[in-house]
Amino acid sequence: MNDTTPIQDTRVTRRYFRKFERITQHMGRVAGVMEAEGTLTKTEVEVLGRYIAGLTYTFRALSMKYLFAGRVSGAGKLMFDFRESGFPAAAELMELSVDASQLDRHLAGSENADTLKDRMVKKIVGDKEIPTKLQFALSQRLYYEELARGHLFWLRNDPDAIWQGNDGERRRFLVHWAVYDSQVNLPTIYLMELEDTGRTSLPKDIRRWPEVQAHLMAQSQGDLKLLTIARGFDLDFSDLHPKRLRRFHLGPMYSHAFTEQTGPLRKVLAQADAPEGEDWALVWTEEELIANHAEMQKSGWFGRVERQVFALDPTGQAGGPDTGATFTRRAIMLPARPYQALEELGPPGLREVRKFVVSPSGRVLVY
Amino acid sequence: MSDFDSQIKESQAQVEQAQAKVAELTSRIETARQKMAEGQDISVDIENASLDDVHAHTDLMNANIAELIMGLDDVTAGFQSDFDELRSKTGWESVVGIFSKNRSESMRQERLRTASIDDKLQDLIAKSDTIVSLLEGQLAELEVQKGKVETNLSGTLEERETVVGELEALKGDIQAMDPQIITLENKISVETDAAARTALETELAELNAKYNEMIREEQVKLARSQTLERYIEKGKTWVDSLTNQAATQMVLINKLQTDTKQRVVLYDALTKSLKTAQQQDVAHRINEIGVKTDQEAQTAMAAIGSATNSRMAEMLEAHEDHMVFAREVLEAKAKADERFARRFATIVEKHDSNAYGG
Repeated sequence: MNDTTPIQDTRVTRRYFRKFERITQHMGRVAGVMEAEGTLTKTEVEVLGRYIAGLTYTFRALSMKYLFAGRVSGAGKLMFDFRESGFPAAAELMELSVDASQLDRHLAGSENADTLKDRMVKKIVGDKEIPTKLQFALSQRLYYEELARGHLFWLRNDPDAIWQGNDGERRRFLVHWAVYDSQVNLPTIYLMELEDTGRTSLPKDIRRWPEVQAHLMAQSQGDLKLLTIARGFDLDFSDLHPKRLRRFHLGPMYSHAFTEQTGPLRKVLAQADAPEGEDWALVWTEEELIANHAEMQKSGWFGRVERQVFALDPTGQAGGPDTGATFTRRAIMLPARPYQALEELGPPGLREVRKFVVSPSGRVLVY
Repeated sequence: MSDFDSQIKESQAQVEQAQAKVAELTSRIETARQKMAEGQDISVDIENASLDDVHAHTDLMNANIAELIMGLDDVTAGFQSDFDELRSKTGWESVVGIFSKNRSESMRQERLRTASIDDKLQDLIAKSDTIVSLLEGQLAELEVQKGKVETNLSGTLEERETVVGELEALKGDIQAMDPQIITLENKISVETDAAARTALETELAELNAKYNEMIREEQVKLARSQTLERYIEKGKTWVDSLTNQAATQMVLINKLQTDTKQRVVLYDALTKSLKTAQQQDVAHRINEIGVKTDQEAQTAMAAIGSATNSRMAEMLEAHEDHMVFAREVLEAKAKADERFARRFATIVEKHDSNAYGG
């Protein structure tokens, strides 16, 4: 629910997607660095890596869909959030899902890539014309083929559970899911560690598991605090005990050429005046909520259930902003040139933020 | 929803028919051009290429699609009940509330936590997409036809220019002959020698024959130029009509896309705002206090409830940053609506007065 604008020109559209292709590649490397330094476990990096790969595919599909924006009259234009997130508008991902659901019809109704290329050659050699229409048809074909390949980052990526081990009677699971938050137009990944005291193991429980999935998806809103989500979950499922809940907001993406955010980063990028390909910075925020202890509470007339009490950021009690989380960490990823500008300007708000400086060769330096 | 599907099918059939009619008319105009090139009389072909039939069909088709778009309004009216449910208690919850207010409230909270309108939004987008692709198909076809007629026309225009040029040249030649004939006639009237006079008279007869031939040719060229002109007139009207039809399609597409965008954004924002407002603060207060909850929850709920029980518009006003965007979308919608209303005044009227029987 922010200001979105269409990208009118095909060249600009292509540049936009090239930028994101680079960013998602670097994201994977940064996750690797975080694993090496022990901030994330191997499983967590695998999970995050899968979502990041999904994002890459999603962007690739969108880049095919809008390859001919502004060039062919029937081609759509990519709507993206230029004021806040720098990412495509959530409506784009809604359309992606709708398109995916009608995949068969589109693939059956169009010619495959080789035939189209063949016809293009004939058009070029025979009629001596640029085969724009055929090129457009091919881009749409490749779009649907990309959708057919699957593993994309959808608007909603339903929960999956990974078994982490047993503590006596309790099974430990890492439940992960992700949404593309439609309020802020950003991909958001959730990781929840929970203990299961139910009779059947959670992912095999045909009654509880679908309920859990629906519940978590319905609660995945950026403006709900982690505490709200965790408490609601704890309350609705008596034999599941959320111990740790983390949420990663990937973005916003800043770029002097594309976005119009306010704040210090805008000035940094303006000063850096970086060439195409290095004119960006990606911020991500990690929220973490940890259960402090558990209490037994009365439920109904006879039952007693375990309820978690969560630790909250002490600054909240001291009158600071109430984050509804135990920790909130921000980090920023950017190429070397904007980083130099950042160090020179040294805006106070960004001094404490961890900075991952990436280079085209794939090296990541942490400051 | 089956109603929507059957309506879509009906519209699809009409679009096909309308396209066939449009193509047929274009091909008639093209045939006329071929015949003309072969020198045949084409006045009948031109008269037969009547636009009325095509227009009647296109109107029918557009009316149907406009109806389809208005019908989406009825589909989306269903969202209202979702919003109401987010704000109030269901029947069963109210019944439970008579016995235990706490139990009733916790039931409501649980329902809130699982509420989601994502599926409905997807459905809305899918439906709107179906209509848009229908319209875009029609638009593309109209543009193809327009292109065909336009190339045809520009060829004809060139041809007419040549014919008119020839006609002018001919007229000049004819006028140039007049003094020649007069001089010859004068010579004959003063000539006394019989042999010379006969020779002069033969010359005059030849000149006259040539003159008449040229006059005849002038008539032919004139007729040809007039036919070409009529043909061009017809072609121009057809291009105008095609342009107009294309504009109508664009208005329809624009209206539909703005509407859908606006709906998705507003419904999504409203649902999420409602969900957040109805549970956020409660969760916070409850957490640290641990067990001493219910009273606290009641007060919090009452406070939030009074804020959220107000109408949809007020709800959005409470979120000022949301409103900025919402206002822009609303303005865009107002514009699209206005264009739509201008073109489809009668249909809107019928729809509003329920003249279609529901």
